[in-house]
Amino acid sequence: LLINFAVLKGGEDKITVTWGLNQTVAAGTDSTYKTIKVKLCYAPISQVDRGWRKTVDDLKKDRTCQHKIVARPYNPANNTAQSHEWTVERDVPTATYFIRAYAYDADEKEVAYGQTTDAGRTTNLFQVQAISGRHVTVDTCSICFSVFSVVSLFGFFYNEKRNAKRPQ
Amino acid sequence: MGDIEGSPGSSMHGVTGREQTFAFSVASPIVPTDTTAKFALPVDSEHKAKVFKIFSFANPHMRTFHLSWISFFTCFVSTFAAAPLVPIIRDNLNLTKSDIGNAGVASVSGSIFSRLVMGAVCDLLGPRYGCAFLIMLSAPTVFCMSFVNSAGGYLAVRFMIGFSLATFVSCQYWMSTMFNSKIIGLVNGTAAGWGNMGGGATQLVMPLVYELIKRAGSTSFSAWRIAFFFPGWLHVITGILVLTLGQDLPDGNLGALKKKGDVAKDKFFKVLWYAVTNYRTWIFVLLYGYSMGVELSTDNVIAEYFYDRFDLKLHTAGVIAATFGMANLVARPFGGYSSDVAARYFGMRGRLWVLWILQTLGGVFCIWLGRANSLPLAVTAMILFSIGAQAACGATFGIIPFISRRSLGIISGLTGAGGNFGSGLTQLVFFSSSSLSTAAGLSWMGVMICGCTLPVTLVYFPQWGGMFFPPSKDAVKSTEESYYASEWDEDEKQKGMHQQSLKFAENSRSERGKRIASAPTPPNTTPNHV
Repeated sequence: LLINFAVLKGGEDKITVTWGLNQTVAAGTDSTYKTIKVKLCYAPISQVDRGWRKTVDDLKKDRTCQHKIVARPYNPANNTAQSHEWTVERDVPTATYFIRAYAYDADEKEVAYGQTTDAGRTTNLFQVQAISGRHVTVDTCSICFSVFSVVSLFGFFYNEKRNAKRPQ
Repeated sequence: MGDIEGSPGSSMHGVTGREQTFAFSVASPIVPTDTTAKFALPVDSEHKAKVFKIFSFANPHMRTFHLSWISFFTCFVSTFAAAPLVPIIRDNLNLTKSDIGNAGVASVSGSIFSRLVMGAVCDLLGPRYGCAFLIMLSAPTVFCMSFVNSAGGYLAVRFMIGFSLATFVSCQYWMSTMFNSKIIGLVNGTAAGWGNMGGGATQLVMPLVYELIKRAGSTSFSAWRIAFFFPGWLHVITGILVLTLGQDLPDGNLGALKKKGDVAKDKFFKVLWYAVTNYRTWIFVLLYGYSMGVELSTDNVIAEYFYDRFDLKLHTAGVIAATFGMANLVARPFGGYSSDVAARYFGMRGRLWVLWILQTLGGVFCIWLGRANSLPLAVTAMILFSIGAQAACGATFGIIPFISRRSLGIISGLTGAGGNFGSGLTQLVFFSSSSLSTAAGLSWMGVMICGCTLPVTLVYFPQWGGMFFPPSKDAVKSTEESYYASEWDEDEKQKGMHQQSLKFAENSRSERGKRIASAPTPPNTTPNHV
């Protein structure tokens, strides 16, 4: 798998992922592969103190790879390198990542994988800088509503005090 | 007023000593109705309502009840609004588990102080303005969530929003100006319980609002920010309703509230002294930290727990988390009711046992909740835990009014603060560190609940007994009068300042349970008539 190494901006930058069967394995190893799913995975540094991203051996409970990049059907007859260009989505959080491709058989079970980093997940990592989620419009509305709340409170208060002072 | 023979309120005709603390209405011989007043409900001589008609909106009494509990409910919604959205917020702000835990602690800590100040504010401005000021000045803090960019900002905003929980004080204060003291127990309990439901409702509503905003085209990191406009607007709308529809007193006159002289002004220091030197106060402060406190902590962690542990969708986790808080609708009143039923047969000893049983059972189910590995079991454990903890809250306030007559206000305030303190402490110890999983944290919290409930076995009233010991056999000490009069020194007794306490003592004989008939005539009490 090959990627461009840089700090990628959520919603803007693109990743081009290329994957293919490792040519050194014995022929026929890939006979059960039906689908390839490419996922964005958290590097160990982004898993520290964040149990919801924990790596667990049981794949059903593993939470390392939470963002799907692409899924493609796999044809053993045509196992040349495939690639896909993906724009980093706007709900991808700021973190350090690597990419993994899982091969699934017909029963949707993971049977093989490959990743852009080493076994310890320390090399060739890249960072994503997420969108903040803030907008000028939202900020402005926030300020306006807050001012309205404070002004209407004090307005009401002074108005009532003034009416009370007026001779009945 | 009630001391002069023959004046309204002095007759004990019809008083059996078996009246419930929680009652829907007060019968006429006990508290006479002011027939000249033109209110929708029967009122007493101060124009406080004698009847609690839950589904009425009649001005001013029932309208005040609804404005009051709704404003408290709103503040619960905004204080815990972040909790069900944490799975999104933690990704947007790059939070660690300790960031999330600390913000949870902050959200309940602010009101420890604001609740203490709120009493004074209500004295100064009246409960209507006290409530409106707090709720409308905290609306900007809710809107501020949209600006948050970091863990520090998140913590600061949750801390500030948490100040609004002081509406508990304005709520209870306002109820006491509108409802007769014989039914104030049930009224306040219902208002508090329904307000607490906000912590449950928010878990349901916030994910829904978030989903709607996302469907309208927003990204997830923007949608959660915009979702906070919902509780923000609730604050503004409720504040305006309180200002326009509410009034401080049944007769609507704020000035008269300040001139009220019939309640003798007591020395603050003395009242504080008798509160803090009564060991029972501190036992209940601790206990409430492990009934109300754990309820608040659970409000903060339970949605995220179900989302992560069982891989649920955000709004499914929200629905489950909501049932925890919504159980308050019936669980808290149920606790108070159980306490009353036990008191009818076993007096105060029954109340203590009921509290211990309910709270300990809550702890046991909490242990189970952390250990439950399947979703149906976890939900069952959670519901049973919520009933135990919330009923224990209701049962606690079935006992608090009897700890002291003179210092009831401060003891209630201290107990409430103890609830928030217990919540902050629990979140800090069990839910802020990655070395302890949330599941383990819940189980350990359950163990701590069971342990911290044990001190209730130490509570002993000489006139009524404790959990394991019967009342004192001493002829003087075994009277209610002796217990309540001991809060006044000789000087004060000479001035007759303890008369209200003596009257309360007489009424509290119901806490003897079935032994009322054999209650000995207390020696040394000044007879009311010659």
